[in-house]
Amino acid sequence: MKKTNIVITGQGIISAIGNDKEAVLDSLRHQRTGIGTMQHLESEHKELPVGEVKLSNDGLKTLLGINVSHELSRTALLGMVALRQAINESDLITFKRTHPGKRVVLVSGTTVGGMDLTEKHFNTFTDENANIDCLRQHDCGSNTELMARYFDGLFDDNTAISTACSSAANALILGANLLKAGLADIVVAGGTEALSRFHLNGFNSLQILDKEICRPFDDTRAGLNLGEGAAFVVMEREDHASAHGAEIYGYLTGYGNACDAFHQTASSPDGEGAYLAMTQALDMAGLASSDIRYINAHGTGTPNNDQSESAALKRVFGDELPPVSSTKCYTGHTTSASGSIEAVICLLAMRHGFIPTNLGWSHPMADGITPSTSAEECEINHVLCNSFGFGGNDSSLILSRQATSGGNDISFKDIDVTVAAEVEITDEAQLADIRDYVKPLEARRMGRIMKSSLLSSLRALEQAGIEKPDAIITTTMWGCLDYSERLLEQLRDEGEVLLKPTYFMQSTHNTIGSNIAIRLGCHGYNVTYAHVGTSLEWALRDAHLLLQSGRYHSVLVGLHDEMTPLLRSLLEREGIPMIPSSIYSRAIVLTCGR
Amino acid sequence: MEELILELKQRIIEALNLEEMTPDEIDAQEPLFGEGLGLDSIDALELIVLLEKNYGIRLANPAEGKEIFKSVESIAQYVSEHRTK
Repeated sequence: MKKTNIVITGQGIISAIGNDKEAVLDSLRHQRTGIGTMQHLESEHKELPVGEVKLSNDGLKTLLGINVSHELSRTALLGMVALRQAINESDLITFKRTHPGKRVVLVSGTTVGGMDLTEKHFNTFTDENANIDCLRQHDCGSNTELMARYFDGLFDDNTAISTACSSAANALILGANLLKAGLADIVVAGGTEALSRFHLNGFNSLQILDKEICRPFDDTRAGLNLGEGAAFVVMEREDHASAHGAEIYGYLTGYGNACDAFHQTASSPDGEGAYLAMTQALDMAGLASSDIRYINAHGTGTPNNDQSESAALKRVFGDELPPVSSTKCYTGHTTSASGSIEAVICLLAMRHGFIPTNLGWSHPMADGITPSTSAEECEINHVLCNSFGFGGNDSSLILSRQATSGGNDISFKDIDVTVAAEVEITDEAQLADIRDYVKPLEARRMGRIMKSSLLSSLRALEQAGIEKPDAIITTTMWGCLDYSERLLEQLRDEGEVLLKPTYFMQSTHNTIGSNIAIRLGCHGYNVTYAHVGTSLEWALRDAHLLLQSGRYHSVLVGLHDEMTPLLRSLLEREGIPMIPSSIYSRAIVLTCGR
Repeated sequence: MEELILELKQRIIEALNLEEMTPDEIDAQEPLFGEGLGLDSIDALELIVLLEKNYGIRLANPAEGKEIFKSVESIAQYVSEHRTK
């Protein structure tokens, strides 16, 4: 089978350790962390160190030439800065001008989206004349659209992926698949995430934030530090890049996406999802584990992640573990942006021949891996970059200096796709039926959207006669609105206290799809699109690609949304599209001939 | 202590959404996690929030909860010794 080589022809990055790739490189080489005392986020929790970008919103707007009076989410602003660098590096604007027929697509990962603005204005939402413009920037997809619009006319299409901390890695994976399938000529993919009080307090209530600078893989590790930032890469097919003489910064030779299907907020003890993602990536690249010269671990610094990831790394690499480090001790955990921020760090490490050190490590953990702590210069040809998200959305990327030969590349051919079943739930009264499938102890903390999504999915699978689908693709416009609103109310009424953990862990968009995967024990491909308007279209396109690859024979696609009375009244006033009832779930099972 | 135990049971039922249970159905000596009531790690986090919110008790380390959250009785014991409100 002929391989389609995917190359990186542009990079952009902004993070706590620098506002561009030169500054990031300098910080990494001089082992300077960017984590420190909060300067920009307006939170009471000054005791929590964070990896902030060292620019205010006004500073970012000035950098971008945007009027400071224009209110834009920090997520979009950070994304624009990183995008602009990547676009400039590959001279994409000129390319598009001279090749107007070429299809350029933006794929961005985010979960926070415009929550920074929503939380700022939420307390006035109940006022009669409240300024609710910010709701137009709340969903993940609208941030991606704002970013696309900043580069007037460059992007033919855009979408938003939200799988929590693996969002950006999954954006690169989708981008590569679009290129291999010929659905795009150039994809700019990555992720962006701003700090918000909402998720800082949420992570705090899960008791996984360290009050000191994080120490990934250290026995004394006590949690993560949140960070923010954005990174994007320009991706093309190699022949396409060569045809217009683009400089090639690296190859995306392999990738894998699997679901741990274990727990909403914890990784399994043996790291099954991580293991599957890494082995899929190696298989696609045609590499043996011994070919990898550096691993950029997910390495958040939480007791659970580092234990689970160590176990998975040992399963893949045995005793021959290459140098490993987590660069979250520099940037903080940039959640949805971490996949692309760390991919750009890997590209820098390859190009400049050095292993980024794992800061703060001194005590080996029981059964843990030993990360790289001394600055090491070496030739690196292949790197593995891990990104794992809440709910077990685990993805791995392999970046290489050259194309690899062999390997099990993914390719797509025309195939008949059948809708094997479709189930719609539009009435809240139907949710009581969840009891037919789930024990009361399990159902008790599921929000409405969790119940409607699970119930519609289980029924659709039942109708299709499929016990477990090969992949689960979820799409949502507004995500888990009900619990998110309750957390915002808690912040308004009680201040920055410990938020209700049950609500927070069900506030991320990918909770829906991972809940279904956990229920079914489904370790297959699992992603979530979050975009008002077009996310179902994208989910169906992705499902078709999976089926056309011949690797997946059944895909569960679901569009799941919920509405609250407050949001309904506000959205109605703004004329923003919404679902007609308090819940809406549509589960579709797609199959191809077995 | 009996009064505190009843109050804790009611608060636990509410915080953990054990909608179908009544305080009578929870044995104060029964293990809350694993074999007994069957609670999990998210419930443990909810209990930490419950202690802070209602009794002003802040656990510095989630691991501390393990001993404290053995049963309703052990929580009551801890609360009566450490409550600040």
